Amino acid sequence: MNNQSKINVLLLFLLLVLLSINIIAENRTWSSGTAYLLPPGRWELGLFQSLRYGISETKEISFHPLFMFVIPNGKLKIAHQDLGKFQFASEHSLNYPTILLDLISRKGTGGIISPEFKIPPMISSTNSVLLSKPLGDNSSVTAKLGLMIAVKFGDLDKRTTIDLPIVFPRLNVFYNNYGFKYGGDLRGKIWKNLNYQVDVDLFHFPGADEKLAMEHKGLLLWNKSQRFQMCLGYELTYGEYPFGTQWHLLLPLIDLQWAWAKQ
Amino acid sequence: MQKVFIFSYIACLFMLMGYLFHCEPLVNRFEDVQDAQMYSAKEIQSVSTDVDTLKCMTWNIRFGAARVPWFGDCCGDRVILSESEVIENLQQIADFINAVKPDILFMQEVDVESKRTAYIDEVQWLLDHTYFNYGCYASMWESQFVPSDGLGRINTGNTILSRWKIENAERIQLALRGDQDALTKYFYLRRNMLKARIEIQGLSNFYVIALHLEAFSTDDTKKRQIERILEELDALNATQSFFVLGGDFNLIPPGSDSTDFCDEDKCAGESFHGPKDDPLHKEGSYFGLEKDLMQPLYDNYSSAVPLADYLGNQQYYFTHTPNYNGFWDRKIDYLFTNLKWILGSDSTYQEITAQRSLSDHVPVSAKLEVSHE
Repeated sequence: MNNQSKINVLLLFLLLVLLSINIIAENRTWSSGTAYLLPPGRWELGLFQSLRYGISETKEISFHPLFMFVIPNGKLKIAHQDLGKFQFASEHSLNYPTILLDLISRKGTGGIISPEFKIPPMISSTNSVLLSKPLGDNSSVTAKLGLMIAVKFGDLDKRTTIDLPIVFPRLNVFYNNYGFKYGGDLRGKIWKNLNYQVDVDLFHFPGADEKLAMEHKGLLLWNKSQRFQMCLGYELTYGEYPFGTQWHLLLPLIDLQWAWAKQ
Repeated sequence: MQKVFIFSYIACLFMLMGYLFHCEPLVNRFEDVQDAQMYSAKEIQSVSTDVDTLKCMTWNIRFGAARVPWFGDCCGDRVILSESEVIENLQQIADFINAVKPDILFMQEVDVESKRTAYIDEVQWLLDHTYFNYGCYASMWESQFVPSDGLGRINTGNTILSRWKIENAERIQLALRGDQDALTKYFYLRRNMLKARIEIQGLSNFYVIALHLEAFSTDDTKKRQIERILEELDALNATQSFFVLGGDFNLIPPGSDSTDFCDEDKCAGESFHGPKDDPLHKEGSYFGLEKDLMQPLYDNYSSAVPLADYLGNQQYYFTHTPNYNGFWDRKIDYLFTNLKWILGSDSTYQEITAQRSLSDHVPVSAKLEVSHE
């Protein structure tokens, strides 16, 4: 990445952070992946979804508690000035995968990365803007655009890639230093407590040997109440890997999600 | 409107999935008999099928790793080679092949899509860098991901390269190891015979067979594999078909002076043969219970290196050692036929170490006479 690109990236990052001015935000429950924020004081947690907490009407934090000890992570979501009928928010996350990658770099069963290579300390940051718009009473559509940046404190051999769906596009930023993520999300009500959600995410790494990956998810969500939701669905992925391109269908996706509010 | 959208979406999705998916499994378990994968060189060179002799060679090329101290077979730590390492080794292998000029080449441990060898298709690469026109391939290990030692994706197996067109190539499954737990067995190698037909004037019904037997079993796996091989060879013989078989049998000839290589092969910290040692012998290094398994092949078919010649000077015919600093110390690579080898035409290329060891095995070649009646 040349110096001008680095400056552009830094400026974009700063712009996103500086946009955290107080505005009128729309808060919704079960709003992960949209520009809507959790109502203040509400917690949401899934078996596989991150733990989310509405700090205020304009700020929400989240992290994956299961992964915290091996991939320290955190995300801040900030609501910004609405753009017409569009709710506008930004997300800013940090991840430190080195501990986990070191753990799985070993001899014998469970060795996902060859132990002949050293994994340096490295951090990735993803900064996205989200625009959500309601479609009628019960549906919404969201568009997302994100910038991924990675910083490494040492050399990372290209032979340490984990050439699997879901994993490869997320770690590819460490081999390319930056990448972009575009996406869309559509969700709505089917009937009574049964809802649907479909989304698609594109990963783009300009300058990398493996430039593109796509993930598409389809879910049925059953809201038992404001405090419990069950999800069932699939994930379809397409990616460019060091061995070529491949599609994968991951089935079934299941998640149980709970919520509670501070009294 | 929303319901129309939802149902249309679901219908499109199922059609897309039906079009895209043939469900590639995590590990390919193969059918008992299935078509082999066919190859041809980018440029086909014309060659006559009217030949007087046929030079055949067998070589386990150790997936282009040369004598790199690989973790799996010589006490090393290396797992993933760089692309430049593999290309350099393949180039030297191709140079050797181009110098020796076999007409038919049987190869074992050839990678076609493995992370350990930079995903290079070594069959295609060798076809395009030698005079061979056609090839066929049968995988013995095909997994989208092996979660062990950082191996990742792997596809490796047996290959036959030929000047002439290869037809009816089949992969024939051999017995799996019976001494492993279910999980290990699922991700482990599946040995096979690769059998194909080649049209050559004067040799009707001429078959070529490449194989690579199990290396590390501690039960009767090799015996069951030999029985299956003999079944196939006897069937060809019974139908008056001709064959040449080349392969790495992981078995020593009957009458060999040494059947125990545990001390030669042991890694630092390993101990064998002692009262408290478990296992008693190193896997793949002890042939005491298998020393006569090759006898039926010597009895019924013609070996490129006659057994008497071998027994008269065993060291001269050794083809393998796992010790990357050592000289060849056992013979486990063979050529057999139900035709006749030209006497004295066999070569065991031990001198390959003088230049640079390109594998932990050396090639073996010999010539057949092709009669024109």
